[in-house]
Amino acid sequence: MPTLIRLIDGRFEAAEDRFTDLADDAELVAGPVILSLTRFQAESDALVTAGRQVGVRLAASEAVEDLAYDLPRLALVAPVFPKFRDGRAFTTATLLRQRLGFTGEVRALGDVLREQAFFMVRCGFDSFVPADGSTAEDWSRAAGRFRHVYQRAADDRAPAFVERAQ
Amino acid sequence: MYRYDAIDRDFLADRAAEFRGQVARRLAGELTEDQFKPLRLMNGLYLQLHAYMLRVAVPYGALSPSQMRAFAHIARTWDKGYGHFTTRQNIQFNWVRLGDAPDILDHLARHDLHAIQTSGNCIRNVTSDPYAGATADEADDPRVWSEVIRQWSTLHPEFSFLPRKFKIAITGSEADRTAAKVHDIGLVVRRAEDGELGFEVMVGGGQGRTPYIARTIRQHLPASRLLSYLDAILRVYNRHGRRDNIYKARIKILVASLGAEEFARQVDEEWARSGPEADLPDTELARIRGAFAPIAFEALPARSEALESAAASDRGLARFLRNNVKAHKRPGYAIVEIALKAPGATPGDASAEQMDRVADLAERYGLGDIRATHEQNLVLPHVKLTDLAAVYQGLSEVGLGYPNINLISDIIACPGLDYCALANARAIPVAQAIAERFADLDRAENVGELKVKISGCINACGHHHVGHIGVLGVDKKGEEYYQLSLGGSGAQDASLAQILGPALPADAVADAVDRLVETYLALRQDGERFLDTYRRAGMNPFKEAVYADAH
Amino acid sequence: MKVVTANRLIDGEVVFWRAGQWVERFAEADVFAAEDAERGDEAVQAGKDQPTLVVDPYLIDIADGPSGPAPVSYRERIRALGPTNEPDHGKQAEGGAAIAALQAATGAARSTGRVDLIRRK
Repeated sequence: MPTLIRLIDGRFEAAEDRFTDLADDAELVAGPVILSLTRFQAESDALVTAGRQVGVRLAASEAVEDLAYDLPRLALVAPVFPKFRDGRAFTTATLLRQRLGFTGEVRALGDVLREQAFFMVRCGFDSFVPADGSTAEDWSRAAGRFRHVYQRAADDRAPAFVERAQ
Repeated sequence: MYRYDAIDRDFLADRAAEFRGQVARRLAGELTEDQFKPLRLMNGLYLQLHAYMLRVAVPYGALSPSQMRAFAHIARTWDKGYGHFTTRQNIQFNWVRLGDAPDILDHLARHDLHAIQTSGNCIRNVTSDPYAGATADEADDPRVWSEVIRQWSTLHPEFSFLPRKFKIAITGSEADRTAAKVHDIGLVVRRAEDGELGFEVMVGGGQGRTPYIARTIRQHLPASRLLSYLDAILRVYNRHGRRDNIYKARIKILVASLGAEEFARQVDEEWARSGPEADLPDTELARIRGAFAPIAFEALPARSEALESAAASDRGLARFLRNNVKAHKRPGYAIVEIALKAPGATPGDASAEQMDRVADLAERYGLGDIRATHEQNLVLPHVKLTDLAAVYQGLSEVGLGYPNINLISDIIACPGLDYCALANARAIPVAQAIAERFADLDRAENVGELKVKISGCINACGHHHVGHIGVLGVDKKGEEYYQLSLGGSGAQDASLAQILGPALPADAVADAVDRLVETYLALRQDGERFLDTYRRAGMNPFKEAVYADAH
Repeated sequence: MKVVTANRLIDGEVVFWRAGQWVERFAEADVFAAEDAERGDEAVQAGKDQPTLVVDPYLIDIADGPSGPAPVSYRERIRALGPTNEPDHGKQAEGGAAIAALQAATGAARSTGRVDLIRRK
């Protein structure tokens, strides 16, 4: 089982993963599930009316706007990093938080490395399945490396220009 | 100079500490080279042919004397006594040890310097006009906006893993000294008719394998909306730029494939959805503007008789004044360009001794301000006319008084195969051969402004696409060959050079340039530069001159 | 004929494989004849298994010149010598017969198949 790290109230913690991440051809299981966008669109009504917690996995090429109307029904959205160099998921998470107002879990899947903890947290990710064996402690250290930030982002950190005005 | 505050300083210290940890993990085997490479690149550290190369940012090309001395110290302590100023106003150290890199970053941070985002697929160090704050023809000081962009782009949460690198240039002057039209984004600061400050926004310029001149997507962006509009451009690029082919990943390819109008429409659509919180508050804009130390210019006479009589008896000084000294916005002051292009020199290289001297002269005569240019020279932007002779003397003593700015021997050249792991052919020796051919300054002055730009591979770091004469090194069955092209310009009249003909062997390049120049001299009409004559007369006469023997 | 080269991790110095060690001088490198190609491949693999010692080990082609073996490609000759614009920097600064032989190497160089260099960055 890959480790799940969650960021709750500013703390990184190893967490139990309640969700089953289902491939498109995998049989549906009981309990909370994560599905691809395609599968979710095909099966959403049956799933959601069953009262189940549902998450959607978004490939880097998929537009988060396609989920806009479903977001209130979703417990989790999981943008995927096909390679850590592929930064599209940063935009996906930013739009989820800042534009679409999603308040559920935003989970980083794929090539998720601690070196990007800082960027992911700032874009609004709050759960992580690291691909490099890193621990919650590693993530806490990496994400907290910088005492200041220059931009307003999807997290609640005060940018330099706000600090300066105080 | 923009004065860093505690926040800016903490940031650099944190970054240096982070890199120290990453280097330690690499050396201990906790990070593989594949994992470490993007991290070191984000800190400007490349592995080149002979050693590591550290590229240090000179934000918008502006340096204080103490920062220049910090470079000299690094050159002496951790390198072989020299550094190389690049076409993006940065400096590179060619002989760095990985084990020393953390100490170098610490030393830089102590002088408000860093190597952040000098490589990698992120927003690179923003470049600007080396005459900023000194030239009369600017609508606003572009350094203020450069600093705004420096802060916005530093560790940008959303735009640090773009499809490819991203370069922004800003000029406040119609005379473009930044090559803005061959940048991913080029910004020209202007005042509208009603006096409102704004930017012409040009997107999708670039060189490399597929060169493009940038297209204007907005004539007048209100200055206060700069960051939200940049966010919109970067967001469209981050989402839709190609990631399947490294050669097609720059924003120029996206702009070209969508068309500038469609790209602009997508940007506008995205921009319309962003709120005012995406822009910098006016109070912070004002703070940044105020953090540039005011310059105390004196009221001076517009002429200096002492200088004029000194020049009358010193041909070298007279030539220096003609070629290297430019008009300043204030009477009694001048802009001094320092050519890093003396005969036999490597274009852009400066020794530690030379850096220290430039720092001393800037402190004593130049109001403590130094600039690096994208043409690989240095500038003292504020020198009194009455001090010019002393500055010329001080520069000449360390081999920096060579009076060839904008002449044919003032050549841009990338490091090429002498240093660079990507190069196919050398660039430096070719530049040296051409410079030597035109070492007669009377002849060079007669030829006038002629920009030769040399790249050692198709990545075009030597700007060959925008050279009046461009030279591209190619590998022809393992031998160095050079393809010449004519008619490029990186200035406000930007254009892409066209290939002259088949590539030439290394020892034929200087001869060919000589023939091109003779052809120009024979054809030129009143006041025409080489570029103007080429544009009027076309390729044929030049082609015949170089390839006549081959017929 | 081939030689195995790499850059040393700690300082980036160009190094060559010699009997299980990495040495700085080209002249001291083990030369693998065509019939020994397997040993060359083994040396590359051995280098790859030393990721805290060297970066990116690879084989280069060499050929006999008038004064001894030299890398076939211009790029590798420059790596074995140092930058041509600064004759006092890099390996060439040591001087001597072995360096002179490399500097005298002539003949059409040939790429060694390490094309597409930009992809390595």
